[in-house]
Amino acid sequence: MKKALVFALIVAGVAAASASAVQRSSSSPAVSASRMAACTSGQIGFLGPITGPVAFLGAEQGNWAKYSLDTFNAANGTHFTLKQGDTQLNPKLALTVGTKFAADSSLLVTTGPAGSQEVIAVGPLFKRKGLPYISASATNVTLTQGKYPTFSRVVGSDAAQGKSDALFMVNKLHAKKVVIIDDQEAYSTGLAAAATAVLKANHVTVQRESVNQKVTDFSSLVTKVPDDARVVFLPWQVAANGQLFADQMKEQGKSAKIFGSDGLDSGDFTATGAYVSSFARDIHGLPGTQAIIAGYNKKYGTKWSTFGPPSFVSVQVAAMAYKAACADGTATRAELFKNIRAVKIPHSILGITVSFDKHGDVPAAKFYVSIIQSGGKHKLVG
Amino acid sequence: MYTWDFFVQELVNGLTLGSVYALIALGYSMVYGILKLLNFAHGEVYMIGAFIGYGVLTVSGGAGSPMFPIWLLISFMFIAAMIGSGLLGVVIERFAYRPLRNAPRIAPLISALGVSFFLQNTALLLFSADFRSYDTFDLGGGALFVKGIHEGPLNISLIRIIVIVTTAALMVGLTLFVSRTRVGKAMRATAYDREAAAMVGIDVDRVIVVTFFIGSALAGAAGVMVGLVFQRVYHFMGFVAGLKGFTAAVIGGIGNIPGAMLGGIFIGLAEAFSTGYLSSTFYDLIVFGILIAVLIVRPTGLLGKADIKKV
Repeated sequence: MKKALVFALIVAGVAAASASAVQRSSSSPAVSASRMAACTSGQIGFLGPITGPVAFLGAEQGNWAKYSLDTFNAANGTHFTLKQGDTQLNPKLALTVGTKFAADSSLLVTTGPAGSQEVIAVGPLFKRKGLPYISASATNVTLTQGKYPTFSRVVGSDAAQGKSDALFMVNKLHAKKVVIIDDQEAYSTGLAAAATAVLKANHVTVQRESVNQKVTDFSSLVTKVPDDARVVFLPWQVAANGQLFADQMKEQGKSAKIFGSDGLDSGDFTATGAYVSSFARDIHGLPGTQAIIAGYNKKYGTKWSTFGPPSFVSVQVAAMAYKAACADGTATRAELFKNIRAVKIPHSILGITVSFDKHGDVPAAKFYVSIIQSGGKHKLVG
Repeated sequence: MYTWDFFVQELVNGLTLGSVYALIALGYSMVYGILKLLNFAHGEVYMIGAFIGYGVLTVSGGAGSPMFPIWLLISFMFIAAMIGSGLLGVVIERFAYRPLRNAPRIAPLISALGVSFFLQNTALLLFSADFRSYDTFDLGGGALFVKGIHEGPLNISLIRIIVIVTTAALMVGLTLFVSRTRVGKAMRATAYDREAAAMVGIDVDRVIVVTFFIGSALAGAAGVMVGLVFQRVYHFMGFVAGLKGFTAAVIGGIGNIPGAMLGGIFIGLAEAFSTGYLSSTFYDLIVFGILIAVLIVRPTGLLGKADIKKV
């Protein structure tokens, strides 16, 4: 009974959101039920790191994507299915899988990829093929500057993150010297550059370092952190790397505070006293999320971070756009792209209104800063 | 900034990393020495060793509340990982390499890559993609990290000392085994000329099995060491470590046991000092640049010897 009630609440919520969300400019002609059914049985892509070093991230995003689609289908009478592609957070693989996706004429929209470097890899191809794609975690600034016109994202850009993180270090942590270590991926270098610019503008001394994200030992780098550095900024994608770095800081008696970007906002990074920013806040307790969280937890378990819910929203956006395009019984990539940009979810589970500007950014998206307390609990501080 | 303490700290960082590379390199080198086979599944054997150590730690109550004294627990972890990895190496040899022993050399190479992917994906299936942590900081209230040498900016934790000393002990043990025992003599004979060794009554199959067992056991020990020092273990960890171990074996002179040890330590130190004194961004470039230079000067590696063939 309780299970049925939870599911009914989710279905009702998503149905209401979907019904009010897409504003179509013209009314659709009446179409046969069979054409409509065929159209709304299409596939929605999911590009994510299902295996490889950050497979935990792909698993979480994939589970939230599946959950989102199941919920949408149940609420809207559609039968969309998810077509998964494993990118391993690797641009080369992303391009290989992306090529297959782009060549599949029955695939009209995809979600992902997860990493900015992957978007850069598939972007030109998706542009040529007109394939719209919505990422739930790629935050590099350049992605929405016109080079990748069919790209959209449901999270903020690193311009906002780099600036807000740097200002937090200056204003709240009173940093005079900051060590910034990127992990040599587009996401990380872009974010490091954005933060560096703001810190230097505020007369903070910046020591720049760089390390490959496949490295398994950071001892030598930790040794290089000067004793007078107040903050070490890690704009990294692999949270477990951040945890290891924090442990090795402790081992070498370094007292600088660690500040991680949204990539470290995961259960794998639990260094007490460290700060993390996130592109989405913890959705527990946000209005309208209780039933959705309960439904997800029941099906996939309670171990998830802030990476999951944006994936839910990205699939929700794709499905809404797809359904709207099917109003006349057929859908094209161009129609879906147009509809994605017209989507508006006033009360998304992220706690913000999700709609897109002409570049594919969500104007309401912002970043949050939390401090990690003992036991890994996060407390919102900025 | 570049003080004496800084140098010593980077030296210890390099020796710790180099110890792990050296133990992995030994497996590559031993197998190549006997079979002329590049066992690309070796990195995954190391990964399985790390997981076995993690399993023993977990079954023993975890780092937070172990049911044994720390030294005993760590000993159990090493023993279980070395036996488990050793047996895995034997199984790999029996089913993936032995049937191809007389096949063209490319065939076992492909088989090795296949085994590597098989083990990696099996681990993914069994243990999931999550990072697992030894949580060594919780073991004995952080004794392994708190104890050791902590003088001013110099911090050499007990666990790093344990890793370096254990590696040295294993290397000495292996050297004595190969040079002083009958099996070791048989291994050297087989490496020198497999057919001639068989003709004089050496059971070559047995020698190969022993070689795989020892090489894999050392990789298992390296896996536990990495878990203890760097804490996290995951299904993909064998890839880069295997690559570095292989490079160490080549730089030391593949097929040469002291060379593998030297190569591992050399790479570990080169990585640490490149990061510390030159550039963290380009340390791989610097390290591999040094290695290319070494190989140009000595194509057979630091301690390798050129094959002389009568024609």
